[in-house]
Amino acid sequence: MFWSIIAANKRKTVLLIVLMGALLAALGYLLGVYLGGDFHPLAGWAGLLVAALVWLAMLAVSLTAADDIFLHLAGAHEVDRQSWPQLHNVVEEMQLAAGMHRMPRIFVMDDPSPNAFAVGRSPADCAVCVTAGLLALCNRDELQGVVAHEIGHIINRDILYMTVAATMLGATCFLSDIFLRNLRFSGGRRYRSRSRKGSGGRAGGYLLIMALLLAIFGPLFSRLLYFSASRKREYLADATSARLTRYPAGLAAALEKMRRSPARLTTAPSATAPFYIVNPYRPQLSDNAFATHPPLERRIGILKGMAGGAGYGEYLKSYRRVTGSRRALIRGGDLNRSPLAQKVDQRGPQAQSVAMAANVAAARKRSGDIIRAVNGFAFIPCACGMQIKVPPDYAQSTFTCPRCGAVHRIPEVGREHVAAILAAAAAMSAGRADKRQPQASAAPGSAERKEQVVARLPGQWQGFDCSSCGRHYQLSPAFRLRQLSCSRCGNVIRVE
Amino acid sequence: MSAGAIVLMVLAGVVLALVLTGAAVYNGLVGLRNQVRNAWSQIDVQLKRRHDLIPNLVETARGYMQHERETFTAITEARARAAGARSVKEAGQAETRLSQALSAFNMVVENYPELKANTNFLSLQEELTSTENRIAFARQAYNDQVLFLNNKVEMFPSNLVANLFAFRQEEYFEMEDLSERQAPQVRF
Repeated sequence: MFWSIIAANKRKTVLLIVLMGALLAALGYLLGVYLGGDFHPLAGWAGLLVAALVWLAMLAVSLTAADDIFLHLAGAHEVDRQSWPQLHNVVEEMQLAAGMHRMPRIFVMDDPSPNAFAVGRSPADCAVCVTAGLLALCNRDELQGVVAHEIGHIINRDILYMTVAATMLGATCFLSDIFLRNLRFSGGRRYRSRSRKGSGGRAGGYLLIMALLLAIFGPLFSRLLYFSASRKREYLADATSARLTRYPAGLAAALEKMRRSPARLTTAPSATAPFYIVNPYRPQLSDNAFATHPPLERRIGILKGMAGGAGYGEYLKSYRRVTGSRRALIRGGDLNRSPLAQKVDQRGPQAQSVAMAANVAAARKRSGDIIRAVNGFAFIPCACGMQIKVPPDYAQSTFTCPRCGAVHRIPEVGREHVAAILAAAAAMSAGRADKRQPQASAAPGSAERKEQVVARLPGQWQGFDCSSCGRHYQLSPAFRLRQLSCSRCGNVIRVE
Repeated sequence: MSAGAIVLMVLAGVVLALVLTGAAVYNGLVGLRNQVRNAWSQIDVQLKRRHDLIPNLVETARGYMQHERETFTAITEARARAAGARSVKEAGQAETRLSQALSAFNMVVENYPELKANTNFLSLQEELTSTENRIAFARQAYNDQVLFLNNKVEMFPSNLVANLFAFRQEEYFEMEDLSERQAPQVRF
């Protein structure tokens, strides 16, 4: 974190509040004159008062309750250590790395698309929220990169600025909306009747034009301000993430997964888009004035291009190379003066996290299979080694394997079959799955069937018939399994 | 107003400005020193956490790993030495040795698939990974703070105030880089 960035953010927050206040006051005054000028000479001031009240109310909301409202809008719920130990650990690690004195509150959104955001007023009072999709998709290093990015927003004091900006944008849009709506319905009649009285008719004309300009360009302007601010902040938070984790590849991999993910966030209101780590609506939007985020490819490219270190200096060098921009993210003087600009080394990936992720994936697959078995899915092992799960409402009687193209017939889904899968799943989850004879425990009533042994011819296609029911099988050269069970009669066939 | 009075007032103004600046610098130094202490206590908490985790981990793993007595002895000894360390430098060395012992242990674990399937062990391992990370991150934060303080103590003009009130430079907490760990011994 750079003191100059923090100071600039605080200054900008105050400036923004004042600017938006002035804009609201002007809008309110003109609205008052326009709507009530016929009835009372002080209507303009009344409008100003109303605008001031709106401004104060908005300010109070954005400084006290905006984070809770925001989290509620997003449908996030707070989680404790027991339910998500790894997430909790990762956030605590980043809290330590950033030197924050208090833990941020941790929230999870039940949404399949991978995303995250941070809200709050100060590092002592803030919250980090990630989606369930992110937790399912990312390994430990990637999750760490994303959380560090959010912590970066917090320690750079972006969150307060963004909260105030969002609230103020809302207020401006609200007022100008009222104005434009009235204008449309009344067709400017009030203004004309007022000008006929002769008292400052010319000035009234200017007022109307000014009001129109304000009402149209005010929200546009505040949106531009809001979005452009958020773009630069994303780069800086990426740089902070790399510096905190010492591992830019983690965040790069996470961003890549977010880019690839087809799921879109359904719960977020569009005005809150700048808060997220990637734009929930249009993640690949180009770098124009209305984009809330820089293009993801570019962010990934910068992170991957950080050569020889994980500090701010390396990030900025990579930023210049990738974007070709001469504009500095951090002023050169600040960078050279701050001790934080010193070069820091990158660390390697964590080996265990991969094992953990593989375990989680296997567990998820297993529980998915159990649920499918209960719901009457047919499990058909294809000769190419793929396990195909056919839903019970599948209408045709045959299907083709998506991997090898073999045509299969759908068997009757018997009760015995479901029981077999449940038994196998139970045995697997107990960690005692006997790999050599899984069918013996799975189908206890099949003792009279005798085992069939097929001699494998290496490197070529091979056909054989099931010895008990005569069903024909073909093994592809890529077939690696040592054993399969006949999909019609359940006979066990050993391949040797 | 005589010339002497003007000179006196200017002198008084200069002295007042100097005292105020000195006070501000002094307060800044005290703030930095407190942050260094706070950062150190964070490391301390995490090191204790690691010391507490190790007996649990060893107990869980011992049943599965009958033939790895050396690995366990290395861990236990390193832990005992780390718990008895007195200075920052000594602690750094002892903790480095403990980290090495633990990473050797993690390599050995790869040979025991049954142990890796044990959920209790997995959650312990996640806790250990997290603790290792926390130590690394707390160390980063501590060293950053020490850097801030040492710069102030050394640089002009704050070094004048620092010398006057006996602010000392603090030691960095050095552990060997994780990538430079000794390659664990491989046995067949």
